[in-house]
Amino acid sequence: MSDTLVAVVFYGLAIFTLSGAALVAFSRNIVHSAFALFATFVGVAGLYALMSANLLAVIQLLVYAGGILVLILFAVMLTSRIDEARVSNHAWGRQPAAWAVGGLTAILIYVAVKAPLKAPMIKGALGGPAAFGDALLGPYVLPFEIISMLLLAALIGAVTLARGRDAAEAAKLAKPAEAAAPVQAAEPAQAAEPAEAAEPAEEVNA
Amino acid sequence: MAGTTESLARFAPELVLSATILAILIVDLIARLQPKRPSLLSGVALVGLSAMAGALWLTPTGDTSLFTHLLAFDGLARYFKGFFILAAALGVLFGHLSDEISRSRLGEYYIQLLCLTLGLSLLASAQNLLMLYLALELVSLPSYVLSGFRWWDRRASEAALKYVVFGGAASGVMLYGFSLIYGITGTLQIDGVAAALTAAATGGQGIAGQLGLLMAVMLSLAGFGYKVAAVPFHMWCPDVYEGAPTTFVAFLSVAPKAAGFAALIRFFVVGFGQPAPGAAGFPWAEILGIIAIGTMTLGNVVAVTQDNVKRLLAYSSIAQAGYLIMALAVGTDEAIRAVMLYLGFYLLMNMGAFFGVQLAGGERLSAFRGMASRNATLAITMAIFLFSLTGIPPFAGFIGKFYLFAAVLSVGEPFFYALAIIGVLNSAISLYYYAKVVRVMFLDKAEEGDGVVEVSRPASALLLALAGPTLLFGVWWAPLADLIDKASSILR
Repeated sequence: MSDTLVAVVFYGLAIFTLSGAALVAFSRNIVHSAFALFATFVGVAGLYALMSANLLAVIQLLVYAGGILVLILFAVMLTSRIDEARVSNHAWGRQPAAWAVGGLTAILIYVAVKAPLKAPMIKGALGGPAAFGDALLGPYVLPFEIISMLLLAALIGAVTLARGRDAAEAAKLAKPAEAAAPVQAAEPAQAAEPAEAAEPAEEVNA
Repeated sequence: MAGTTESLARFAPELVLSATILAILIVDLIARLQPKRPSLLSGVALVGLSAMAGALWLTPTGDTSLFTHLLAFDGLARYFKGFFILAAALGVLFGHLSDEISRSRLGEYYIQLLCLTLGLSLLASAQNLLMLYLALELVSLPSYVLSGFRWWDRRASEAALKYVVFGGAASGVMLYGFSLIYGITGTLQIDGVAAALTAAATGGQGIAGQLGLLMAVMLSLAGFGYKVAAVPFHMWCPDVYEGAPTTFVAFLSVAPKAAGFAALIRFFVVGFGQPAPGAAGFPWAEILGIIAIGTMTLGNVVAVTQDNVKRLLAYSSIAQAGYLIMALAVGTDEAIRAVMLYLGFYLLMNMGAFFGVQLAGGERLSAFRGMASRNATLAITMAIFLFSLTGIPPFAGFIGKFYLFAAVLSVGEPFFYALAIIGVLNSAISLYYYAKVVRVMFLDKAEEGDGVVEVSRPASALLLALAGPTLLFGVWWAPLADLIDKASSILR
C-alpha cells in the first residue's frame, strides 16, 4: 500500500475507534455503551491488521469482540435495576477539567506530530503465529507465565466476590449498627464524614 | 546477564511463593470439612513464606539481570523482597486473628494476599516497563478484591468500586506514558532509557522531544503516584482504607507503598539519570519536590479533622509518603538508603498501628476512650506506634526521619532547605493528631458501656513483638542501617 493510502486507512480507523470509545463513555444507556464498545474493539483490530500484526488482529476480534463483549452484554442484561443507578457524587468543576484535558490533548498532539520518534517501525513478518509463539516462549516467557498467576488471582477474586452471600454469615460478622442500617439509608459513609467538606478536591472524581 | 537456568535459580523465592499459593488452594479444598481448617491454612501460608525467606537467603548474591533483562537481581530488589515476606507474614498473622474475615473464606483471603505479594516482589525488581506494568496489575487486582471483602458492608463495596475506577484510570494513563517513552527512546528497558537520553542530550532532540519526554514522565508518575497515594492521586486512599477490612489495610498501607517506592527509585534513578541535575533538560528533582510538599501538607492538614481512626491513619499514610518522596527528589545514594531505612521502620509502626485499630473493636475515636484502663497493653503499644509515626525520639520513626532530613539538607541548595523546613513544619502538625488519639486513650475516662477490650494472648504477643523493635531501633538502629548499606546496590 502506498503511504497515502495507509494514512487514509489509519485516520479512518482511528476516528471509528475513538467515536466508539466516546459513545461508550458518554452514553447514558449502558446497553448502548456495550454495543459501542464493539465498534472500539473492531477498530483496534483494524489498527493491528494495518500494522500487519495479523494474528493479533484475529485474536482481538475473536476474544474481545466475540467473547468478552458478549459476556459484558450478558452481565448487563442479567443484572437487575442496572439502569436505576443513583448519582450520589455529582460532577464538580467540569469546566476546569475540560480546559485541562483540552490543553493536555493539544500538547500530546503536538508531541505526536513533531517529536522525533525512535521506536522501530515494524514491517512484515511480525504478525505470523510462528514469530508470535517464538516471542512468547523466548524473550517474553516470564511475563507469559506471570499472566497465568494474574488470571488465577482474577478468577479466585471473582469467585470470592460473587459467591453465595449467606445471610447467617453476614449476621454473625456485621457489627449490629451496620447490619441494622436500612439499605436505602442515604449514603452512611458520607453523611457521617463532616471532614469531606474540608477538602473539596476529594469530590472531583469521586 | 544470567541465562534461563541461572535466572531460575535466582527466581527461586518467587517460585516458592507461587507453589505456596497453589498449595493453599489445594489444602483449602481438601480440608473443607476439617474444624482445624483456619489454623491449617495459616500454617501452610507461614511455612510457605518462611521457605521463601530461606530461598531468598540461599540465592547466590551478585548483581545481575534475569530473564533477558526483564528483572533486576540487585541489593534493592533483595531488600524489598525480604521486606514483603515480613509484611506478608504479618498480614497472614493479622488475618488469622481477625474477626472481619469469615473463617470459611480465609483460604481465599490468603491466596489473594500472596498473589499480591508475588506482584510486589516483581514490581520491586522489574527492569522493563512491560514487566513493571504487569507487576502493577498483579498488585492491583487482588487489592480490589480484598478491599471489597466485607461484602455485607456498603462502605466496602463503595471502596472497592472507587478503587477499581481509580486504578483502571491510573493504569491507563501510565500505559500511555510508557508508550510515549517507548516512542521517544525506542526501548522499554529502564536502563536503556538512560542511555537513549544521554545520546539525545548530546544529539539534541528539539523542543517537541523534550516536551514529549516531560509528558511521558508526568503520565507515568500518575501510575506510581496512585500506588504510593501521592497528591493529587490520593483520593481513593481514605475511602478504601475506611471500607476495606482493617487487617488488610495494615498490609495495603505498607507493602504496596514500599513497592511503589522501589519502582519509583528504579524508574527515576536508573532511567532518568538522577542525581545528574536536570537530566535531559528537565528539573525532575523540583517536580518531585513539589509533589512531596503537596502530599505531606494535604495529608497532615486533613488528618487533623478526622475522628475515624482508620481515616486518620489513611491521611497520615499519605503524609508519610510525602516525606519519602521528598528524599526521593534528592535521589543520591544517601537519600535512597534513607528511604529504605524509613520504610523498614514504617513497616513496624504502621502495621502495628492498624493492628491496634483491628484489636480495639471499633474505628471511631470514641472506641479508644479510656483505653489505658480497658486494656493497658493495647494502649501503650498503640501510643508507641503513633509517637514513632510522629518522629519523636526515642522511637524508630525519629531515626528514620532524621536520615531523611539529613539527606535532603546535604544537597545544600535553597529549594531543598525550603523542602526540609516544610517537612519539619508538617511533622509538627502531625504531632497534634497523633497525640489526639493518645490523649483520648490515656486522659479521657472510659464511659459506661466501654467494657474491657479483650485481646487474645497471641495478639498481645504480636503487638509487643512489633512495639519492641520500634523502641529498640530508636536507640540502636545500626544493624538495619548496616544491612541497608551493604544491600543498597542498584543495577544500572
